[in-house]
Amino acid sequence: MEITLLLALLLLAGLFWTTAKRIHFNIMNCIGAVMLLAMAILTTYKVSVSGPIHFSMLDNLFYIDEFSVVVLDTILIVSALVCIYAIGYMNHELNHQSVSLNQIRLFYSLTYVFIFTMILVVTTQNLGVMWIAIEATTLASAFLVGFYNSKESIEAAWKYVIICSVGIALALLGIVLLYISAVNVFEGSHSNLNWSFLLENAKRLHSSILKIAFIFILVGFGTKVGLAPMHTWLPDAHSQAPAPISALLSGVLLNSAMYGIIRVLTIVNKNLGNTLYTGRLLIGAGLISITAAAIFILVQKDYKRMLAYSSIEHMGIITFGLGIFTPAAIFASLFHMLNHAFTKSLLFLASGNIYLKYKTREISKVSGIFKMMPVTGVFFLLGLFAIAGMPPFSIFASELNLITAGFAARHPWLASYLVLLIAVVFAGIASIALKMFYSTGLPPRDRDAMKPGEVNFSGIAVMGVLLFLICAGGLYLPSVIKDLLVSAVGIVKGGH
Amino acid sequence: MIENYLHLLSITILITAFMLVANKRVNEYIKTFQLQSLLLAIIAGILGVHHVSQTGDWEILLVAVITVAVKVVYIPYLLRTTVRKVEYKVEKDFFWNIPISILICCGLVLLSYFTITNIEDISDRFVKIFLINSTAVVLIGLFFMISRKKAIGQIIGFLVIENGLFTAAILSTNGMPMIVELGIFFDLLTAVLIMGILVFRINESFESIDIDKLKNLRG
Repeated sequence: MEITLLLALLLLAGLFWTTAKRIHFNIMNCIGAVMLLAMAILTTYKVSVSGPIHFSMLDNLFYIDEFSVVVLDTILIVSALVCIYAIGYMNHELNHQSVSLNQIRLFYSLTYVFIFTMILVVTTQNLGVMWIAIEATTLASAFLVGFYNSKESIEAAWKYVIICSVGIALALLGIVLLYISAVNVFEGSHSNLNWSFLLENAKRLHSSILKIAFIFILVGFGTKVGLAPMHTWLPDAHSQAPAPISALLSGVLLNSAMYGIIRVLTIVNKNLGNTLYTGRLLIGAGLISITAAAIFILVQKDYKRMLAYSSIEHMGIITFGLGIFTPAAIFASLFHMLNHAFTKSLLFLASGNIYLKYKTREISKVSGIFKMMPVTGVFFLLGLFAIAGMPPFSIFASELNLITAGFAARHPWLASYLVLLIAVVFAGIASIALKMFYSTGLPPRDRDAMKPGEVNFSGIAVMGVLLFLICAGGLYLPSVIKDLLVSAVGIVKGGH
Repeated sequence: MIENYLHLLSITILITAFMLVANKRVNEYIKTFQLQSLLLAIIAGILGVHHVSQTGDWEILLVAVITVAVKVVYIPYLLRTTVRKVEYKVEKDFFWNIPISILICCGLVLLSYFTITNIEDISDRFVKIFLINSTAVVLIGLFFMISRKKAIGQIIGFLVIENGLFTAAILSTNGMPMIVELGIFFDLLTAVLIMGILVFRINESFESIDIDKLKNLRG
């Protein structure tokens, strides 16, 4: 059933080429969103009722357990909402003749291929196929990043493709090394690249090979996650892509690359028997990323780039939690993955509406959002508070969990440093919010030329849903989700 | 016995990587890449024939055929058409002069030697040598990418990295599972197509394929 839906997505991507009417595009988009949501509900239900889903075909290529479901659900829900948002966004662009119908068709078609590749990353258990899918996400989204065809967006697309492809190539070297260690032990007869197989036999693999493989995989997939210092593609790609794509890139693409790291991390930690080696690497990478992001947020002049650096910060926080690797820290990290996905996509979608209205990405040229677009303004401001870590939003809950877990795991200095960095980021975001909402930097003539009024109504509905999700997540965690997360933590810890 | 031939071939692949660093023109890059891919295909062919005669397993032979079709024939053709269309002018294309580049690459080979010999669990002598050579090819490919200014140079660097990885996979593990190999080929082909199209667009909007000029996005 899931496979059928997965293939139907690809079919849908192809169907966009059979028609040239805007209304057909919109209908097909709605169907796509419904399909994505159906898939989310179906897999979550199946996994929570009867455990992991296997498919025996193709050498057990597909395998979905509770941890996959956590990431898969974020992908599916965010993608479905983004598809709805894109209808309003693209119609607005079309009405203002910023893009042509052909471009929009390419956009929708590639977006569905992009979503398909991300789903593939988290539903396969073959590390080789996972690598292929992660590389395919780069390829599917390259033209989406370069969508506007301006000098800047082409530059961003080029950097994105080159840096990510090379980074990912290093991860392939890591996977080859993993495979060498498996072939060494099992004489090649029944060895394969399925992580469930590698995990089962983790104790028998060679530690020295796994250690170097882990470094290659961390650097490789870390490039895609946006860990500093391999993050340089990320602010460019996120700021130049159209808002729906920025939301997908930041909200779910980074998570699905992180998923790859976590799967390998589980195997390596089980093999080594302790978390000292991977812990040092991950905590180091995480703190460097957060530090770099905090500095760049303070001096940012472009609001979409500011959001992009904030993504680097949050990926750093998740990596930090994985480095600590106690059950509480892993729980906080996974929960943070969910929260970051919803909050950041809300922000990017709201920033898309602001861009449609003001036609600029510069902070200094945006002012008086409340007067121009009251609803979007409120969403954007609340989103900024949420991402900076204010209660009652869910990011606050997961950050608090993570910091307590850090102290509990006897890393008081590192956890305090994390708190300090989060405070710096908060200051940076607050000052930017003040400038965008209350400054009078715009010359009166420009201000009068714009008429107050909202744009993109389907988008506003989507943002309402997202805001509800992040508020609700901060106040109350339903037992279904909590159980899913707890069993996901067990899987990441290496049990079954 | 067969290992000795493979050893020789893996060293020639390393030598082609050095040749690439010494090349000055884009057309030469493409030729060197083609030569390197041909050597890779020969390795896959020898292993493939060996496997067919031993176990009747034809998968590696298929990989050899695909390597010839994709890396020796189609990708070089694609790159040549791209170069012709962007009206490439001959000008200095590298940041450091060639002797220094070659010295740096020698350093990279040493680095790869010391890294791989430090992994104590790789017991097979030949696997060790294969890994040293192919990791060196990967590192040289990376160095090549940062040492050239033209967009085409970066594509070639990426392809050389991929060749190094492929050599590592096929020599030290007798090939990854078939589905993975096919997927990698598919990704590689799509990647080169997309990069080719982006080169056109860069050429259109910047009136050059100099990566140095891509400096709008900072901070």
